[in-house]
Amino acid sequence: MTTEMEKAGIPVAQVTPMTLVAETVGSNRIIRGRSIVHPLGDVDLAPEEEHELRRMLVQRALDALASEDRTTA
Amino acid sequence: MRLTLAVHSISQTDFGPKTQLEGTRLQIDVEELRRCILQDRRLQSVDLEIARPGESCRAGYVFDIIEPRAKEPGSGVDFPGILGPVTPVGQGVTHVLRGAAVTVVDGGQPGGELGYESRRGGVSKILEMSGEAAKRSSYGDLQHLVMVPRAHPDIKRHAVLNALRVASCRAAVFLAQTALSQLPDSTLDFELEGPKSRNGNLPRVAYIGQIHGHQHGTESDEHILYGANTRGMMPTPLHPNEWMDGAVVTSYSWGGRGLETYFYQNHPIIGELYRLHQSGQANFVGAIATISSDQESEMKRNSMMAAQIAKWNLGADGVVLTKYAGGAPHTDMFETARQCEALGVKTVVLTSDTASDSRAESALLINTKEVNAIVSHSEGSDVRFQLPTVDRIIAGNSEVADIISGLSELTPDALCGIANNQGASRLQPIIY
Amino acid sequence: MKVVHYLNQFFGGVGGEEFADTPPNFLEGPVGPGKLLNQILPEGSQIVGTIVCGDNYAVENQQDIVSFVNAKVKEARADLFVAGPCFNAGRYGMSAGAVCEAVKSESDIPVVTAMSEENPGVDVYRGEVLIVDSGSSPANMRDVLVRIANLGAKLANDETVGPPSTEGYIPQGFLRTEFVEKTAAQRLAEMLMAKLKGESFEPEIPVTTFEPIPVPLMTTEIAKAKIALVTDGGLVPRSNPDNLPRAFSRVWGAYSIDERPKLLEEDFEVAHGGYDNAHVQQDPNRLVPVDVMREMERSGAIGSLHEEFLSTTGNSNPLENSRRIGREMAQRLKEAGVDAVILTST
Repeated sequence: MTTEMEKAGIPVAQVTPMTLVAETVGSNRIIRGRSIVHPLGDVDLAPEEEHELRRMLVQRALDALASEDRTTA
Repeated sequence: MRLTLAVHSISQTDFGPKTQLEGTRLQIDVEELRRCILQDRRLQSVDLEIARPGESCRAGYVFDIIEPRAKEPGSGVDFPGILGPVTPVGQGVTHVLRGAAVTVVDGGQPGGELGYESRRGGVSKILEMSGEAAKRSSYGDLQHLVMVPRAHPDIKRHAVLNALRVASCRAAVFLAQTALSQLPDSTLDFELEGPKSRNGNLPRVAYIGQIHGHQHGTESDEHILYGANTRGMMPTPLHPNEWMDGAVVTSYSWGGRGLETYFYQNHPIIGELYRLHQSGQANFVGAIATISSDQESEMKRNSMMAAQIAKWNLGADGVVLTKYAGGAPHTDMFETARQCEALGVKTVVLTSDTASDSRAESALLINTKEVNAIVSHSEGSDVRFQLPTVDRIIAGNSEVADIISGLSELTPDALCGIANNQGASRLQPIIY
Repeated sequence: MKVVHYLNQFFGGVGGEEFADTPPNFLEGPVGPGKLLNQILPEGSQIVGTIVCGDNYAVENQQDIVSFVNAKVKEARADLFVAGPCFNAGRYGMSAGAVCEAVKSESDIPVVTAMSEENPGVDVYRGEVLIVDSGSSPANMRDVLVRIANLGAKLANDETVGPPSTEGYIPQGFLRTEFVEKTAAQRLAEMLMAKLKGESFEPEIPVTTFEPIPVPLMTTEIAKAKIALVTDGGLVPRSNPDNLPRAFSRVWGAYSIDERPKLLEEDFEVAHGGYDNAHVQQDPNRLVPVDVMREMERSGAIGSLHEEFLSTTGNSNPLENSRRIGREMAQRLKEAGVDAVILTST
């Protein structure tokens, strides 16, 4: 999916806990998600901490989009 | 470590006045067995039936299938952590009723993460005793004691599942204890010297197997490894004899298609590696139990550690890797294999076809050039079994009875004993 | 069985490279290697006509050659279409593949061609067209024609075609599950021993490698960009309006975020059988982070959040299906003027 959107010229940052899969199919901007059961969250954190984690992951995605290189963050 | 299996062949199983083994005939006092199962106060009743090879009978949905086994007194505990204290198994004498099985059917709730329905929708695991599907199943020629334990209605689902697990082990031991005082038909010895073994300059081989996939979580009281739920588990050396002797049972995961405790007890891969060892072709140095993780960092760490143990603790030259079904465990298995190859440990992996379009290019979720030795049991989604109408249905509840009595066709993933993640499967994808 | 045969200018006897621009010509009966094929074909079968066309003409005028061949095949009421053998002639292989594929889809009759594995026509057409492995030397002509004749007859009679290794064709890349004598455990042990001894072994599933895609660059700065959220984690509005299945999804949905500051538990559900959905169900922002994106929209960190999120279920999906879903999503996003995507996966 990522590569088809990128072929169409839309930059994609992929947040995924399964980075190996994303890497092998050729995704260019990969951000490590927290967990398969909650990629942008963490039930073990307090609500405000969890929100901060999510904000950080989204920020990493935005940074990756701004970057001109292949990135795994 | 040396384990002797005292094998008693079973040709016939019946209910009768006394629980006993006479020659190859197993007789079960159904009331005595019922009392044994119902000592668990969470259960209010249990249905007990026998399903024999070729009988026009279908059971579902299957919780687990176990081979009846009992440890010789003084040899250790049966199913430590589940039925008794946590003490090591894999040594001494274990009596085996070969040709028999305890098959537990879940009568609990449908749907959801803990329900008995297939997560992919459609039917969950079925035991088929007649027709083509039975002929192709590893379980088709066994004498099954099929039991449907029913919990009190106010018992929480996780506790019901725990009760099913305890009941399945109790029944397996109960049946096999009939063999304790008897001479076996044959004995099989499993002995390894372990990592220190030199055994000439034979290639050193090992097994790395996942025992749960944590993308589906576990219950806190779920029994998997010596009674533990494997949360936060790191890879650990687990002697091949421990795998076979009750240290590991399958998790509740209904996504775990093609995984039953029966094939831990009769582990096909451990069996093959023992064969290589005993025939002087290789030096079987040990096995590692691991999990697949739901977290990237844990996945990387566990993969790395499993590879390190294989390389530095076992000194393996080559390993066989298996996963606990599914796509996420596939990632962990491939990463572990990649880490092994990076350390110079040669790998072969057992995969299933993870896509549904029959195209070879989709079949592997992950393609890396290092992990190039791939065996697949497929999931056989292109294989269809025509099912006969059957005389007898053993179902967990009336809703399931309606569903499974009306089945006319199934793919292997819904049938016990055809596609199997532990190496028992004879399915293979052929490239056309 | 009536057979129509396709040849290039060289094998069709017109001439060498200097005749590569020759337009197609239809000749009655067999020509060149077709004469030998005609003898090998089973009783009662014959080549009724041969199309000969120059390699350059065929490659440069693909529409023309395809319509020419389709018309002749229909006129001849052919039961089988054969092209080549092309060995390692690249343009010949490309045109043979193209006309075979066209005849197959237009006339719905079996088609067979032959090429060497290195022929570029193999990569393009192997999935659609049965290609006999000809090797690169025309000295194998007779053997190649025998295999073409056997396969053609089997296809025309609706007989089962065996695996590539026994029938002598290039694998098409389809997996068919079969029951074999050895268990997976036995096959694993054998493959491990072969690998340890340095002997050759064949993986049961071929390893596919993917070409890297150039990194597309942002055309606007992030602070001005319209960013869309896409997920393959199966998040859908309650009642699942597009009936996203829990696996093998062929569909996707676009769902309005409206003016929502965040996604609420009561509005959404999860259709994905590959993971425990409870945590995402409890707080959908853990999969589709609308709450954080709204904050960033307000603070000016991003230009705007696209007014809908796109969702599908990435569980056990065939690659070709995922690609199609990706293309369809890309089109919708382009039309909406989206500058970049954050894709969240489970």
